[in-house]
Amino acid sequence: MTETEKGKAEKTEIIITGFGGQGIILAGRILGKAATLGDHRESTLVQSYGPESRGGACSAQVTISDSPIPYPYVRNPDILVCMSQGGYEKFGGLLREEGTLLIDRDLVRMGEDDRPRFAIPATRMAEELGRKMMANIIMLGFLTSVTGVVSPRAARDAVAESVPKGTEEMNITAFNKGFDHGAALLKGRRKKASGKTGA
Amino acid sequence: MPEFKVILFMCNWGPHAAYQELQDRAAEIPPEIQMVRIPCSGRISKALLFKAFEMGADGVLLLGCETGTCRYGTGTATALKNVEDTRGILALLGLGADRLRFASFMPDEAEALLEFLQTAISDIRAIGPSPVTPPVKRSPILEEAETIRQVVAAHDVYACQDCGKCSSACSLTLSGKPFSPRAIAGAVINGEIASQAVRDGIWSCLTCGLCYDRCPSAVDFPLFIRDMRNVLSNAGLPGFEAHGGFFQSLMRTMTSPGVRPRHYEWLSGDIKTDHKSKILFFGGCAPYFDIFYRNHLGVETARILKDAIRLLNFFDIYPQILEDERCCGHDLLWSGDRESFRKLARLNVDRIREAGVEEVVTACPECYRTLATDYPAEGVEVPFRVVHLFEILDREIEKGAVEFKGPEQILTFQDPCRLSRLENRPELPRKLLARLESWDFREMPDSGRGAICCGNTAWIGCDAFSKALQAKRLRQARETGSDLLVTACPKCQIHLKCAMEDPFQGEDLQMTLRDLTSILADAIQWA
Ligand code: SF4
Ligand code: SF4
Ligand code: SF4
Repeated sequence: MTETEKGKAEKTEIIITGFGGQGIILAGRILGKAATLGDHRESTLVQSYGPESRGGACSAQVTISDSPIPYPYVRNPDILVCMSQGGYEKFGGLLREEGTLLIDRDLVRMGEDDRPRFAIPATRMAEELGRKMMANIIMLGFLTSVTGVVSPRAARDAVAESVPKGTEEMNITAFNKGFDHGAALLKGRRKKASGKTGA
Repeated sequence: MPEFKVILFMCNWGPHAAYQELQDRAAEIPPEIQMVRIPCSGRISKALLFKAFEMGADGVLLLGCETGTCRYGTGTATALKNVEDTRGILALLGLGADRLRFASFMPDEAEALLEFLQTAISDIRAIGPSPVTPPVKRSPILEEAETIRQVVAAHDVYACQDCGKCSSACSLTLSGKPFSPRAIAGAVINGEIASQAVRDGIWSCLTCGLCYDRCPSAVDFPLFIRDMRNVLSNAGLPGFEAHGGFFQSLMRTMTSPGVRPRHYEWLSGDIKTDHKSKILFFGGCAPYFDIFYRNHLGVETARILKDAIRLLNFFDIYPQILEDERCCGHDLLWSGDRESFRKLARLNVDRIREAGVEEVVTACPECYRTLATDYPAEGVEVPFRVVHLFEILDREIEKGAVEFKGPEQILTFQDPCRLSRLENRPELPRKLLARLESWDFREMPDSGRGAICCGNTAWIGCDAFSKALQAKRLRQARETGSDLLVTACPKCQIHLKCAMEDPFQGEDLQMTLRDLTSILADAIQWA
């Protein structure tokens, strides 16, 4: 492996996008915290709000790396998480070719776009848990299990530390839901690939 | 050498004439043979054939006339079926099918008969003595009246206000049977246990628990009945078992420690189990039912066990199974044989402990209730968790990435009383039914905790009123406009199917029955 390739492999650029009020920025912050405080890596966060000025889309740009990050802006993410149609439309084209796309299944319609994706009904699951605003935490759990970009323990600790006091347990439950969903999805894909669809 | 006992049931006609000739010339009839003369081989039911084994016989021989020469027409054909079924049961039970044989002889075939008897005895000797220890005669522990007082007090029957809510809820009363729970309660309190009507009532109750659900004084009628049956049996009084007590005999046989059933021999290779797993799958008696009803109802309830393991495998759970699994004992407890129940409970718990198991999973509502609630209540401590398969499925499906594909059908559901009412978990099957998105689900008027019984519990007291009750239930199911009646207990399927065999109204009661576990196993897919 050459130096440049190695450098590439060590750095992951992520964009999480959705609309205001979904806790997109918080999700970005938790992800960065997990990477730095839990996994002892470097991380930066660039937040861009703009519910009014930019059609409601807001985004968090997170970079995670093993070496110091000189430039925190993310142009072409390795991982793109879309929690709104607007976010998908704005950032969908920027994802790297081999990148990983995660969407909220009920909120994003991809139409003709047939790229591989990991879909979860995060908002619906949050509603079932009785708190729609926890969709971001469910998505974080999903992101953690599907991509492994942060370790599950670091992510859980960061969630517990970042949410309002008294809601830790609920949020960890939400995180686990998303995490389990991701794990089940990966398992299902493995099984399907080995030719086992049903019971 | 232990004393061998082989029971010879011999038809009065063909074979007996041949046998007499052997006796007349003092031929060497093997001394192990204990002969019972019978009017026709077709009259020896599966229950009678099996009863001999329950009582410790090492072998049973049934002799009849040749097919076509039966004096009563169908005797030999019936005998052949009964023997075939009972042999299947003996094989599953691990006693060995070859301990039971049928043969037919004409009066002039004395020589052939002698040869048959000698070969049969030497073959049975080669299998070895039966591992079954015959039951000792039960003796009342306390004086009857005193015991009754204790039973009445234990279930707070004195609290009855004579309001009649129980009778107005009871499916049996509503089917037209002259039967009143409160009258039975009152009569027992008044010491009228000698009355035949009271005893009949005690053996008629379905122990379904619907009345307990409605009773303002919380009189636990099913438990009261259960314990009263024990009092009556202890006093040596006859019960009212369906099918001649076949199933009670079968379960009592399993209380002998030496019996080693072969419960899963029929299980096919695509199922994965792991003898080191901390999770045990406890299947229940369905494989016996399928053999017993092979020629009558043609039910396929053993499939439920297989499908349950298939579902666990789907989620990468590879449970242990006990090749020598025994009955949980539910039916013995509810048909008045607490002593045998406790024996069975102890054998089971010891065996499961030996297997190093932390969690027992079952798909049978009765096994679930019995292991989780009745074992501890009867003083048999359970060193493992008991969970219903549906709980595990719900947990795993909840993780997502799973979908159900299948024909679009309209479903309705028959609640198993042990799960939905006695254990109060009507939501468990419903959560899973709700996952079947393309199916339409319609409840019957009496459902959940309030569901009407399938018609029988613990193979006790089946009669024409049970049939009326089942007919009513099946009509309710059909009136929902559903294509499929979903069950979650092998016995619900058996009893309801039985009502559809009615020669007069069977046509109007037909409905496809399928177990929820099997439906899920066939429809589940990774999304
Ligand atoms: S419902 Fe209860 S209180 Fe009322 S008559 Fe029946 S047993 Fe007695
Ligand atoms: S347990 Fe069921 S069958 Fe027995 S009296 Fe109560 S409602 Fe009737
Ligand atoms: S309903 Fe049919 S299968 Fe069930 S106990 Fe009665 S006779 Fe037997």
